[in-house]
Amino acid sequence: MLRSLVWRPLALRHCKGATKTAQKAFTTSTLRPQQLPGEDEQTTHFGFSTVPAAQKEAKVGAVFSSVASSYDTMNDLMSLGIHRLWKDYFVRSLNPGSRNSEKGWNILDVAGGTGDIAFGMLDHATNVNLDLKTKVTIADINPDMLAEGRRRALETPYGNSKRLSFMQANAESMPSIESNSLDLYTVAFGIRNFTNKDAAIREAFRVLKPGGVFACLEFSHVDSALFNAVYKRWSFGAIPLIGQLVTGDRDSYQYLVESIERFPTQEEFKAMIEDAGFVTPGAGYENLTGGIASIHRGIKPI
Amino acid sequence: MSTVSLSSATLLRAFRPASNAGCRGRVRNHVPRLRRTYYSIYHPEPAPYAETQDRILSAAIKRVPEHGFSEEALVRGAKDAGYLEVSVQLFPRGVFDLVNYHMVTQRLALKDKVHFSEGTTLGLGAKVKALALARLRANADIIHQWQGALGYMSLLENIPASLGELNALSDEIWYLAGDTAVDFSWYTKRGSLAAVYASTETFMTTDNSKDFTATAEFLDRRLKDAQGVGGTVGGLTQYMGFWAGNSVNLARSFGMKI
Repeated sequence: MLRSLVWRPLALRHCKGATKTAQKAFTTSTLRPQQLPGEDEQTTHFGFSTVPAAQKEAKVGAVFSSVASSYDTMNDLMSLGIHRLWKDYFVRSLNPGSRNSEKGWNILDVAGGTGDIAFGMLDHATNVNLDLKTKVTIADINPDMLAEGRRRALETPYGNSKRLSFMQANAESMPSIESNSLDLYTVAFGIRNFTNKDAAIREAFRVLKPGGVFACLEFSHVDSALFNAVYKRWSFGAIPLIGQLVTGDRDSYQYLVESIERFPTQEEFKAMIEDAGFVTPGAGYENLTGGIASIHRGIKPI
Repeated sequence: MSTVSLSSATLLRAFRPASNAGCRGRVRNHVPRLRRTYYSIYHPEPAPYAETQDRILSAAIKRVPEHGFSEEALVRGAKDAGYLEVSVQLFPRGVFDLVNYHMVTQRLALKDKVHFSEGTTLGLGAKVKALALARLRANADIIHQWQGALGYMSLLENIPASLGELNALSDEIWYLAGDTAVDFSWYTKRGSLAAVYASTETFMTTDNSKDFTATAEFLDRRLKDAQGVGGTVGGLTQYMGFWAGNSVNLARSFGMKI
């Protein structure tokens, strides 16, 4: 009797996972239905509205075509400028590049149109790991974003080198990439806009070598209720307004905040990654700035 | 009376609080499992590491004597196990996961390494000493790299996990030695053994003697010290109790109403 009284809290305290689950049972609400009423297989969500799945791609395309040139401004507004730190941390924690192998890594950066992550990884491989062989391919579905990336690449040392290449592709199906050919697949602030996220993760599983890593940096859900209230006020109240004032395009910014809200929670997204066959390390995800963004990783088992 | 004490002793041997390692295993594997807050000999604990992690880490440990507890050993281990350099993303705590793996696996291996026969006449102290020494000897191959590991363990974010593991080891040793005390000494025993073990391990990193005889002597002295302190405190308490009782009786004999 005494034993169970004394040990239960102690054992729980040691056991991070157990406490988290226990807390979750009290805090999780059904605020975020993954499927809206009237939404079935043929339709999907575009922000808070329901659209036919076939149209989402075009609508997302329109949003990004219209914001391509002011993409950094947009990210700065949405994250209060912290996205630069997140991207830095994301790249550093992946530690791309090989110190002592003849072949560098083969990296695919999906939805990486403007090239932030790709340049960061090449810089890290070159300067930190002294690796001049690691290659990055930037894939994006949107030609306008790719054009922006090509333009920016010319300002980096990798502009015309063989280490950087661009391809226009839909992440849900990339037949031009061989199976088991990549060391690292990254997608930063992109997967939220995919029509079929499961298909994209399955495609990532296909193209990665066994042992390869899927890494995803994405806006996510804040874990503290108080901070969440402030953050929601900011994102729904201020961001569309600022978007309208700065770029004269309210609808695109409205879509962006709504798409963040509709994105699966950390636990749900982790389950999606595991369903595709990946092994997730540790807790499965890492929250940044209280969960405004999170990093998910998955390793393709051998 | 004897049946009561017997049953409590059996209970204590059969059930122990689940250690850190069990929890970590549950979190990592993410497979829903029956959760117990105690240890039971009738229900074996699940493996502390998931299969993929285990394969890489066990290969990486073989690289430690040469490359130390380092990113290098981890990467080489991943390659040896057929994985890629990038696969070390599997370990969010990096090198500390490798250090922790060594500590957890060696702690769990202790019960298979040391056996006390049924009719043994060894006292509790001798058993504890034998177990602690066996655990220390498990560091023999990597002791020249252990200072690096201690460095990682002393990083702020790793201190809670390191202390938790030290506590789990101390608990394991007392459990395997067959200690069944359920009074306050439960805490002092574990605390003092943890301190003795930690200091002996640190001593061992600078021990150049053949077959670690100096470490064995060091451990012996520290355990005697701990026993000595425990004995002195116990004796002092008894002495004070005796005189307190005496004083009360003396006062009563003078007619005070106590």
